[in-house]
Amino acid sequence: MKIVVAIKQVPERDAPVRIAASRKWIDESDLQWAMNEPDAYALEEALLLKEQAGGEVVVVSAGPERVGSTIREALAKGADRAIHILCDDLNARDALGVARLLAAAVKPENPDLVLTGLQSEDVGLGQTGVIVAELLGLPHATMILHVEKTGAGLRVKRELEEGWFQSIELPTPAVLTVQSGGNKLRYATLMGIKRAKTKELRTVSAAEFGPDGASTVVLEQIAAPKKQKSTQILPGSAKEAAAALVEKLKTEARVL
Amino acid sequence: MINVLLPTLAEPQHFSTWERLLFAALAAASLFGFWRRFGPILGKILQSKKDPDFHLFPIGKRVRDFVWEVMCQAKVIRERPLAGVAHALVFWAFCAFALVTLNHCATTFGLGFLDPAGRVGGLYFDFAALFAAACAVGIFGLFVRRFVVRPKWLGELSWGSGLVALLIFLLMTTYLAAFFVPGTSNATRGLWWAHTVTLLIFLPLIPHTKHLHLVLSPFTVFLSRGGFAEIPPLAGDEDFGLVAGKDLTRLVSLQAYSCVECGRCMEHCPANNTGKLLNPKEIVLGLRAYLNEFGPHSEEPLLGKYNAQEAAFECTTCGACEFQCPVGIEHVPIIVGLRRGAVNTGAWEDDHGAKFFLALERGNNALGFSAVERDKFVEKNSLPLFDGTQEYCLWLGCMGAYDPRGREIVVALVRVMRYLGASFGVMRKERCTGDPVRRLGNDLLFQQLAEANLEALAQNRVKKIVSICPHCVRTIQEDWKAYGTPPEVEHHSEFLARHASQLPPVQNQEKIVFHDPCYLGRYRGVYEEPRSVAALAGDLVEAPRSRERSFCCGAGGGLTFLGEEKGERVSHVRAEELAATGASVVGTACPFCNTMFRDAFAAKSEGAPELMDIAQLAARGLPE
Repeated sequence: MKIVVAIKQVPERDAPVRIAASRKWIDESDLQWAMNEPDAYALEEALLLKEQAGGEVVVVSAGPERVGSTIREALAKGADRAIHILCDDLNARDALGVARLLAAAVKPENPDLVLTGLQSEDVGLGQTGVIVAELLGLPHATMILHVEKTGAGLRVKRELEEGWFQSIELPTPAVLTVQSGGNKLRYATLMGIKRAKTKELRTVSAAEFGPDGASTVVLEQIAAPKKQKSTQILPGSAKEAAAALVEKLKTEARVL
Repeated sequence: MINVLLPTLAEPQHFSTWERLLFAALAAASLFGFWRRFGPILGKILQSKKDPDFHLFPIGKRVRDFVWEVMCQAKVIRERPLAGVAHALVFWAFCAFALVTLNHCATTFGLGFLDPAGRVGGLYFDFAALFAAACAVGIFGLFVRRFVVRPKWLGELSWGSGLVALLIFLLMTTYLAAFFVPGTSNATRGLWWAHTVTLLIFLPLIPHTKHLHLVLSPFTVFLSRGGFAEIPPLAGDEDFGLVAGKDLTRLVSLQAYSCVECGRCMEHCPANNTGKLLNPKEIVLGLRAYLNEFGPHSEEPLLGKYNAQEAAFECTTCGACEFQCPVGIEHVPIIVGLRRGAVNTGAWEDDHGAKFFLALERGNNALGFSAVERDKFVEKNSLPLFDGTQEYCLWLGCMGAYDPRGREIVVALVRVMRYLGASFGVMRKERCTGDPVRRLGNDLLFQQLAEANLEALAQNRVKKIVSICPHCVRTIQEDWKAYGTPPEVEHHSEFLARHASQLPPVQNQEKIVFHDPCYLGRYRGVYEEPRSVAALAGDLVEAPRSRERSFCCGAGGGLTFLGEEKGERVSHVRAEELAATGASVVGTACPFCNTMFRDAFAAKSEGAPELMDIAQLAARGLPE
């Protein structure tokens, strides 16, 4: 089975995020980068499938040069080869723009399965994988915890809300977006890193996939959430205060 | 004059041709028997991979170690005085006997060079006789110990040891008896032949039994790496540690064949003493059995038939085994080497271990906290940032930056440093030094951490580091060397001891027992400094096992980050021992020891002694 895994490089968790002067993105100097966690689980699922059924795991990632370190990490963990779509304006593209890049890289591979994380840890749109499926004209399923190969296709376990799970079957080729926590992640090893050096890493520039379509979503400005404390002391007796509170919850907070 | 008073050794004056032929035939058979076994062993050692970090020079320390440990038998005696002296008597007698034996064989062909009736020869034979008597007593004592007292460290009774003891005893008594028979009697000839036959049986037995150490251990001691628990560099792109036979180096193979099975390593091993699978002796003997079966070129995994992965990952790297070993075996690099082989190839699958590595890959600290927590701690205590103008870089370490008790130690040290007027600053960002991953065998992660830290320290022009953590100190000073030149580093006990005279003594003096952390004591040789600091706050008592023999807290070697231990907890055993001294305060000098004992005392219902780092003890006397 040939599996393509789309991964994204995101700022390391807990990294102190500052808004860049342009107010269009964050200040990237002094940041450390890591593999988007749901993508790491997608990669782990792909590696497990390969270990069980054989085949090939190809990693594809879009972004500037720094993305190379995350791609090498994926190769070190066991991916067979990688495609780096070089583009310096990833954050300026909307989900459709990014999905177009990924789909263009995935299509000539003719994979049996495309895996990616459910969402990214930086912007968290949760759309990219699904749009890729649409662009490739493939069936898709989201929030996947577990993938099992059956005779005809796949049986997958989806996570629903309130502790419910759904088990469905779908044919291949397909696109799945993977949820964190379904498996145990493997750690990178020295042997993996050394072997990764000999693996194929093809770099293509975003321009090779044709001119960019105009973004359907335009990023105006980003801002850190404002921290504010606004405490009101409701005066009067307990009864009066309670009545005032109910009123406020109804009209101001609109939770009742 | 003296020769007249002392009895003279009787030797046959003449040997017939058939006697000479018989001797020559027996000697040849004996040598053949020896070489048939020893030749392949030597071959396996020499065919092993070359040690990438081996340098014969500087040779001074090697000579000193050889004289002290081999010739003087200092380590053998110091760590087990009674058995050690008995062994030394046997060893010294063997040395004295070298000339006697050579002469003994030479006389067969009329080539004897020591004349029993002569002045020099006579004196030498008498000199050797003294050693022979001492040796006979010694070997008898060792025989009684092995077959009657039977300490469990010696393992199963072995016929080989009994036979060898008997042969040595016979060698000495046949030599001594020859002083009391007339020179020309048949008894003289009989004793000579008895001595000869014993000798020729003894020789081929040597490589078949643990007595191989007679031949190998002087070389093992002389050629050993020299440092303590030093982890060798990996050589080239295909070296991932000790994966299979092909990865065994000459030193490892030499050490595997040198083991004398005395079990001192096992006697002092915290894992072995608390019901774990690990037995350092069996690790070494496992490698020997592996070499015997598969040889030094094999692809067969080392962790398999003869050594268990579980055992390799139970080691706290406390180094008690290596410190005790009388034949120069370096257990810690071997055990860490086996772990490297398993981790660097991904063969080690452990839930806690994998989670720990992933947390360090992403978060850069061993405790898995957000770096923001460290920033908050630094800010809250107004710790100055290091800017290149201060004398010391105060290295917080993961425990000092994130662990509540570790933070208390840092705060106490900062109070003292401020009182002393020492200028210091902390790094704006710190990563784990890589100690736990280094000892767990993850070279990739260790290299990343070491390189990033070295770069940050160089950028900030750090010249001198002081740290509350002996693990950080060791890793910075020794292990980082593989990737650059680390700044000077010292443990806070050394800093505090230097300034102890300027610190006010504490009013309420207590009874304090100081626990030697492995990485400060055995690893760094620092024993007096922390005691002199702790002494500011009270009277010191010693635990039954202290200084070089200190018993581990159980945290080292990355074990504190793995799951629950099998058997008894090492920390509980040690905590009980410390509490049993009756001291009201347990003094520590390592944040890991501190956290292990804190948990151990918490499990004890009441009456547990107070737990204080030496920095906290030193800070007690400061004005509020």
